[in-house]
Amino acid sequence: MANKSVWSDNRFWQRTATWVTGFAAVLLIWLTFDTSAQISMGTDEDLKQGVTKRVPGPTVINYKIEYLMDAKRGHEVPVIGGKNAEGRSAFQEKEKFFGRDDWTEEEAGALLHLGKLGSQAKNCMNCHTLLGNGAYYAPDLTKAWLDPAWGPEGSLQAMTGKNTKEEAMAEFLQHPSQYPTHERMMPNLGITADEAKGLVAFLKHMSSIDTNGFPRNFGKIQGAVHGK
Amino acid sequence: MIDPSVIRPEIALDDFLPIFLSSALAMLFGGFYVGIYTAVKVKMLKSWAMPIAYLFWFLTAYSLYIMGSLMHVGEFTAKALIVSMIGYLLLPHAVYHMQHQVHEENEH
Amino acid sequence: MASNTLNESKQLATWYFTFAFILFGAQLLFGLVAATQFVMPGFLFEILDFSVARTLHINALVVWMVFAMFGSVYWLLPDETGINTIGIKMGKLLYWVFVAAIAVVVLVYIFVQVGPADQTTIWFIMEGREYIEAPRWADIGIVVVALGFVANLFLTGMKGKQTGIVTVLMADMIAFAGLYLAGMFFTDNISVDQYWWWWVIHLWVEATWEVFVGAIAAYGLITMIGAHRKVVEMWLWIEVAMLFGSGILGMGHHYFWIGTPEYWWEIGALFSALEPIPLVAMFVHVLYDWGKTQGAEEEAGNPASVINNKPAFTWFVLNAFGNFLGAGIWGFFHTLPQVNLYTHGTQFTSAHGHLAFFGAYATILIGMMYIAVQGKNNIKVLKNTKSSIWAVSMIAGGVMGMTVALTIAGYVQVLVSRAQMGATWAGYFDGQEGMWFAQGMDWRLIMGLVTFLGFALLAKDLLTTGKNPVHER
Repeated sequence: MANKSVWSDNRFWQRTATWVTGFAAVLLIWLTFDTSAQISMGTDEDLKQGVTKRVPGPTVINYKIEYLMDAKRGHEVPVIGGKNAEGRSAFQEKEKFFGRDDWTEEEAGALLHLGKLGSQAKNCMNCHTLLGNGAYYAPDLTKAWLDPAWGPEGSLQAMTGKNTKEEAMAEFLQHPSQYPTHERMMPNLGITADEAKGLVAFLKHMSSIDTNGFPRNFGKIQGAVHGK
Repeated sequence: MIDPSVIRPEIALDDFLPIFLSSALAMLFGGFYVGIYTAVKVKMLKSWAMPIAYLFWFLTAYSLYIMGSLMHVGEFTAKALIVSMIGYLLLPHAVYHMQHQVHEENEH
Repeated sequence: MASNTLNESKQLATWYFTFAFILFGAQLLFGLVAATQFVMPGFLFEILDFSVARTLHINALVVWMVFAMFGSVYWLLPDETGINTIGIKMGKLLYWVFVAAIAVVVLVYIFVQVGPADQTTIWFIMEGREYIEAPRWADIGIVVVALGFVANLFLTGMKGKQTGIVTVLMADMIAFAGLYLAGMFFTDNISVDQYWWWWVIHLWVEATWEVFVGAIAAYGLITMIGAHRKVVEMWLWIEVAMLFGSGILGMGHHYFWIGTPEYWWEIGALFSALEPIPLVAMFVHVLYDWGKTQGAEEEAGNPASVINNKPAFTWFVLNAFGNFLGAGIWGFFHTLPQVNLYTHGTQFTSAHGHLAFFGAYATILIGMMYIAVQGKNNIKVLKNTKSSIWAVSMIAGGVMGMTVALTIAGYVQVLVSRAQMGATWAGYFDGQEGMWFAQGMDWRLIMGLVTFLGFALLAKDLLTTGKNPVHER
């Protein structure tokens, strides 16, 4: 009979399992507090004061949004309202959203609320990816607002016959199967004009979220590239 | 003009395949290492197979090295990979030792 | 099995397994619809769109596994605790509540599909969050059913013999039920939404479900090959420590790109690199116990196999290997942030999902179904049959084939759509049109059909076992 050793004692391993699990859980909860504070949604005041938030307030829809390389962080970040001297968000340059650049906090918040609800009610995530999560049947929507195809010279905007990005996107969302962009089409989901407006606001807001450089090189290369 | 460094991804296009293969092989070889080690210890395999187990450990470490360098992992990740490889070398020894002891205590 | 009448808890377990198996079939059917749509985009367009088929595909997957997990616990409880399961009447009632609720949810998914952008849709039609799409009323129902199940487990575990396996299951199942609550709220902030969504998804499949598998594997080794309980339970505790130790913070690998701070890169990389280790350990565990037990029997002059349920043991071994392959290898090679930047949200994830859900969970739960069939029919030694062998080969081969096809498709996507074109609309479709991508999708569909045929054989084998004279009674 060998000596009883602590290493072969089930109670020792039971305690180890309990402590390891407890420690990991406490660490996760602690990190959750820190992360929650960092990803809480900003306010209109933040934008006006030039405070950079990882998730800006809904009134970010009044501003121009770009996605530019940040030399210090080594990847692209959203730049809101034009660049300042350091290449960071200046929060100055506005951009009209459905004809206005003075959406109040309440109005913009209501629009974003409607859009987020719509994104769930229409089950977007089971074809598209949002922030890279979802299904892989349709393009990623993380930075869809910044997609050159919806821009002034883009093919998608031209297709809808609209003059602005937001109107083109809203038109497409309401009648997707009238504008086939590919053999694989988006089905008609009964999206109303209001809902489409909300969804576009949701997309514009999502493009302003600091995703640590995901996706990389978004929209930097246009035209043909050599595929495999 | 777009700065060319913006366009070029950090990982060269030709490096993606070797990265995927080396990381998959690292895992596979790692599985072989502990698998063969255990099989020899419980006498499912003859003892001459043991050096093969260690060869697989070496291949695991080498695959991870390739993966890490192609991916340009940071210093922190590089250190973590080295530590985990050493830990991984010792792991089956420690585990087998414990299991063996429990068996001895309970069955003989 | 001494008596002829099946213990009530085991009877309830067979109900759970039966419904799980039906849902398993539904999962495969809707998966085939979605796979066909990748090849022929017009298939069922605006009738049963990809989003609907895929919702059903992944929901049926989750729910059949939960059903089979509940069934497994009801099956092993009387064996482990030595007493009859307490509150079995309530268990039976909750079973029917659960089945009815699922039937309603599925019918709404198929016939209503989507709703207006307001809270009534979230409450009664669909929540639109991948894997936990079920409307809020059903969420509440699921929590009630899960709590009833946990109550049965706790009352029985505390009154009867509380073995290590039962203790692990008790702790694990309460975490499993509790975590679901993290997915039951609405927020306008998509980053916060995704943060908590992962609490449910990740802490289920990469923590609590894995520990559940460890506990079931321990039970299986004791039941099928007579492994030594003390050794098996010690392994189990070590596995729990390793799985939770790496899995809980392994969550970091989902927090690279959803708006969360950069420190998750280091946390995610470190703990993801550790996550395969318990999977290797679980693989070795099976090998070790098998070798030791068989060796001991042979030394005692008894060369016959120690395995009393060949098909179940095959599925358990496949589990040990598949868990390592699907969750370990297919998980690790796209988990480090440097590479995940390009692979996140491509068919790589899908390849990993297919092999990991199959390897880690489907296999062992099918194994438990074989154990239940053996117990239900009073079979001493359950042997392999032609259909059991063909079933396991075709299902495993089919899933592996789908995984390889999806991996190749994912590789094209990474190179074309991600590394070069940066995930734009045009970049996405350029990748989808690649020849290798398109062929990957063709092969995925073919391999999906192979899997489905394997499933049909599995059904046949499980249903005919009771009358098959080859088994020793």
